[in-house]
Amino acid sequence: MTIVSAFLMPGNPLPLLKGENPPWKVLADAARKAGAALRDSRPDVLLIYSTQWIAVLDELWQTRPHSVGRHVDENWYEYGDLQMDLHCDVDLARACIAAATAGGVRSKAVDYEDFPIDTGTIVANAFVNPDGRIPAVVAANNVYHDFALTAKLGGIAAEQAKLQGKRAAVIAIGGLSGSYFDHEIDIAKDRVVRDADDAANRAFLDRLGKGSGNSLAEEIAEYAKTVKADMGGKHFAWLLGATGGFRGASVLGYGATYGAGAAVVQFQVA
Amino acid sequence: MAQGRIVAGFVAPHPPHLVYAENPPQNEPRSKGGWETLRWGYERARKSIEELKPDVLLVHSPHWQTLVGHHFLGVPRMRGKSVDPIFPNLFRYSFDFKVDVDLAEACCNEARALGLTAKMMRNPNFRVDYGTITTLHMIRPQWDIPVVGLSANNSPYYLTLEKGVDQMEKLGAATRTAIEKSGKRAVLLCSNTFSHYHFHEEPALPEDMSCEHPQSYKGYQWDMRMIELMRRGEIREVMRLFPEWVEEAFAEVKSGAFPWMISAMNYPTVPAELHGYGTVIGTGNAVMEWRLAA
Repeated sequence: MTIVSAFLMPGNPLPLLKGENPPWKVLADAARKAGAALRDSRPDVLLIYSTQWIAVLDELWQTRPHSVGRHVDENWYEYGDLQMDLHCDVDLARACIAAATAGGVRSKAVDYEDFPIDTGTIVANAFVNPDGRIPAVVAANNVYHDFALTAKLGGIAAEQAKLQGKRAAVIAIGGLSGSYFDHEIDIAKDRVVRDADDAANRAFLDRLGKGSGNSLAEEIAEYAKTVKADMGGKHFAWLLGATGGFRGASVLGYGATYGAGAAVVQFQVA
Repeated sequence: MAQGRIVAGFVAPHPPHLVYAENPPQNEPRSKGGWETLRWGYERARKSIEELKPDVLLVHSPHWQTLVGHHFLGVPRMRGKSVDPIFPNLFRYSFDFKVDVDLAEACCNEARALGLTAKMMRNPNFRVDYGTITTLHMIRPQWDIPVVGLSANNSPYYLTLEKGVDQMEKLGAATRTAIEKSGKRAVLLCSNTFSHYHFHEEPALPEDMSCEHPQSYKGYQWDMRMIELMRRGEIREVMRLFPEWVEEAFAEVKSGAFPWMISAMNYPTVPAELHGYGTVIGTGNAVMEWRLAA
């Protein structure tokens, strides 16, 4: 068994930076619960894809052995600083780069001091891997890669983990509905900004509970269009590609991050 | 106190390749040059800045994209290292500059008065985006003029283009009012590429200019058409065509800097001067100046 667990994690930092705020506590508690489940699955490596690490030329893969430092989110800076503490499985990342390039997706290593690991990766890693002990392979979201190509990259990462005999946990980092409040709000009253988005998010999460099935990719595309989903829902492509499909899913938490939809979901891998 | 004024506005695009090609001491990677016609264009723009002697530079960058309103740098001195998450091989730049916080606060307050959501960024550990830094470095590498940094609210993408442009035009009007009340001589910098179609793979040697040309002929045609209108002072026609330009050339001006600057300058009919044009990874980039005062 290569893929031992899989999770959807929000990339918004508010539940981590201000987890005591009731609407965000739901997500923070769920994220910690996901962390406990992930550690129970005893992975050797995390296979991470975050919608917030944007690439436009080639596919980028993190290969710096240990990324540390302070990070300030460009939107939520007033809630505090984030700490990067990310170990990379360099051997596996390099294998992914070679395999992806051989498979027609030209890929490059990213190994630079002070490189700004994206907020989503920092946040998810802090929740599920708080001591930073489990190394990760982190792939960028090339904005020109479609759902199928992103799924292919997820599959390549899983395949390379298998070839190296590693137990892998898949982490897809991103949000649900993508509309935010466009004005300052009372954060204690945060909610999904559009009722229709809220309903669509809930229906979509219910659908995930039924397993991947054959039509999920098409359903995600339709859902993503309806709710202006974070990066068209490409983080689900990574998850589908890496897991090869899932039997069902448990929603550990659902809520809003300044109007946008967010959820923590644990998937039942085959 | 004399009334302040906008003495010039520049289209000042921000491909980090230009900083990389120049090899300034602040940037870690070393290059063999490249993109000379654009960098020579910036040389001419630098001479204009020298002549104009502005008190402040205001820059609107699409790479500080904000979700809730329009944000302004609000820390008196910004220092740090900005590694471009997209081109980390080209841009790892140590920055250190002063912010005109008084003017930034005035712009923020005027924006609020016009009904916009606006806020000040006060976190001293904030990493300034590479768009802001590249534009500022290319226009004034001495870093001796205080800066007002504006974010690009994502309204043109998440609302409609029309609503987004309306917000940016209000932001421009607010900026103009704040500058006039400040008594300062201000230069506006629109940190935008024009046609934004680009290649999807990087050459082995990024500065290999044999690989550089417009990615899209359609995008190139739009660039030439709009530059010619700007050179003739037909800014109203430029703004009439703006939605079509954005749609067909995938123009980065959609992010708001251009309508912000043109509105702040009150839709100038003075012909713009083209200092230089060139492509970077296939995108169309023009360095242009509207001179409004001696």
